[in-house]
Amino acid sequence: MNKKAYYGEYGGQFVSESLMNVLDEIDRAFEEAIHDPQFIAKYNYYLKQYVGRETPLYFAERLSEKYGTKIYLKREDLNHTGAHKINNVIGQILLAKRMGKTKVIAETGAGQHGVATATGAALFDMECTVYMGEEDVKRQALNVMRMEMLGAKVVSVRSGSNTLKDATNEAIRTWARTAEDTFYIIGSAIGPYPYPKMVKEFQSVISREAKVQHMEAEGRLPDVVMACVGGGSNSIGMFADFIDEPGVELIGVEAAGKGIDTEEHAASMAKGRPGVLHGTRSYLLQDDDGNIKLAHSISAGLDYPGVGPEHAYLHDTGRAKYVPITDTEAMDALMELTQTEGIIPAIESAHAVAYAFKKAKEMTPEQSMIICLSGRGDKDVNTISDYLAGKGYLN
Amino acid sequence: MTVNRIEARMNELKAAGQKAFITYITAGLPDMKTTKEIIKAQEGITDVIELGIPFSDPTADGPVIQQASFEAIQAGASLNKTFDLMKELRDEGCEQPIIFMMYYNTILNYGLGAFADRCAGLGVDGLIVPDLPYEEQDDLKAALSGRDGATILIQLVSPVSADRIEKILTDAKGFVYCVSAMGVTGQGGTYHKDVVEYLKSVKSISGIPVMMGFGIRTAEDVKPMKEYIDGAIVGTHFINLMREAKFMPEAARDYAASFKAELNI
Repeated sequence: MNKKAYYGEYGGQFVSESLMNVLDEIDRAFEEAIHDPQFIAKYNYYLKQYVGRETPLYFAERLSEKYGTKIYLKREDLNHTGAHKINNVIGQILLAKRMGKTKVIAETGAGQHGVATATGAALFDMECTVYMGEEDVKRQALNVMRMEMLGAKVVSVRSGSNTLKDATNEAIRTWARTAEDTFYIIGSAIGPYPYPKMVKEFQSVISREAKVQHMEAEGRLPDVVMACVGGGSNSIGMFADFIDEPGVELIGVEAAGKGIDTEEHAASMAKGRPGVLHGTRSYLLQDDDGNIKLAHSISAGLDYPGVGPEHAYLHDTGRAKYVPITDTEAMDALMELTQTEGIIPAIESAHAVAYAFKKAKEMTPEQSMIICLSGRGDKDVNTISDYLAGKGYLN
Repeated sequence: MTVNRIEARMNELKAAGQKAFITYITAGLPDMKTTKEIIKAQEGITDVIELGIPFSDPTADGPVIQQASFEAIQAGASLNKTFDLMKELRDEGCEQPIIFMMYYNTILNYGLGAFADRCAGLGVDGLIVPDLPYEEQDDLKAALSGRDGATILIQLVSPVSADRIEKILTDAKGFVYCVSAMGVTGQGGTYHKDVVEYLKSVKSISGIPVMMGFGIRTAEDVKPMKEYIDGAIVGTHFINLMREAKFMPEAARDYAASFKAELNI
């Protein structure tokens, strides 16, 4: 067993033999890169000049007043391409170039990671193919078009649930076949080691900035930090710099879909068991035979039956708490944030906002929380409008 | 002392100077009864049967085996039902060496200890777990060990395994499964560009028989590397063939008989 590939009993490298030397090569290149000041300088340059970092830590005045505690929003929605996904893509694509790869592939759920990868590929002149479940292709037509405009080939994956899980299966198959010249840019905090570590490294900029910004605003650390969790990339980035600050409560918000007591949810921590999928051991939604169950969430980006291995570890050790939020709660929060602060969040991020409203009730006016607003809601306008039509919202 | 059926068969073939022929079929495609008939029809011809346990997310398989796996699950196939099938086969006197090809989550879900006990009890001779590379095998190996004729964990090597091959072969048993191409099953005769050199290198250091699989359809397909292998494994093509023949067991027997004869000319 390769101990460094594990977070407690989670993680590992559960891939075909064909990929083992590939992973070793990536691991070595990654470790070299992040210890190379030139690489880091380049990464920071693109984050600043191209992505538009740092992103604001916005004090949500009206919400804070309404809920009686200080609510800060880490505005990852203001990044170029509309979500936190680009942070990681810039890092991995610079690594791919450094390794001499000429092609990149990616899986995508909501399409944000696909758009970010297609964007990075255009910027760095790489050939790009994005795997996306057929169901998500339909739900996120706008993002499909953006990817194609950026020059990426979008492969609609038709197998299983036709969502992120199946897109990831297909990306892994393609990678195993083509790894000699192709770099697989994984967007979630999942996959075989060193992927969860890489994704965390390149997303940890979120918490590095937020910690300093909160310190400037309040002169102390926040009491609570929260983020939505699908595979867990924005949340691991939001947690990273706070994990060693025991006074900061970490909360990950899972998608409970139609409710965790129904069969239609994506709450792998609340309702899953440890198992192996997509190269890593972590909590998974599975049936009695060990087949992976279909996840359900109104947000394509959280519609995944597993979770990153470090989250499983943070869950078991109690360092972070994971809570479920239903489709309805998320959509209500989405509307509230939109109408109270003039910010239309991604449905994914709205899950974190929804739990923040619950959490705020047990907090005091002196306390403060940071919500990671991982993405903006432009991509979700069709889903939102269908939802509101079905729900008969008047305004 | 119980002898493992794979090792026994490999020894017989070696003594006779023959090459092995192995087929893969998904358990429960189209149903368990037919799977049993297809296995029994190959008795005395096919040397080892690879029985695929269907899984929801078969990332090492191409479209044909994915579809087979999907249909089998839809038809109710599972690990437990495949164990039932094993029991029937052994009760009915079938002594074919049988390997389960399965994904690791199916084993973890069953429980490593319970799984190893059940395999030993039912005479599952070997396991191929494509998403369990050498570094992750300790737990499963520990669970399987300590029994006479214990179930063998078959080792896979790939064209890019390079310096890993020696390590992987250290405690390998039964035979070594050489994947002929990068990636997934069923790429129809398109091998890795360095396939001959790679097989040659595996053969030169392997103390156990060397089998080649992935993308093989006919004995002709393995002719260029025949010198360096001890047998061939046919999966995807075998499933396609069975479908075309409406899963008639005779078709399995005829195909196996002609492939094996040609392989041993």
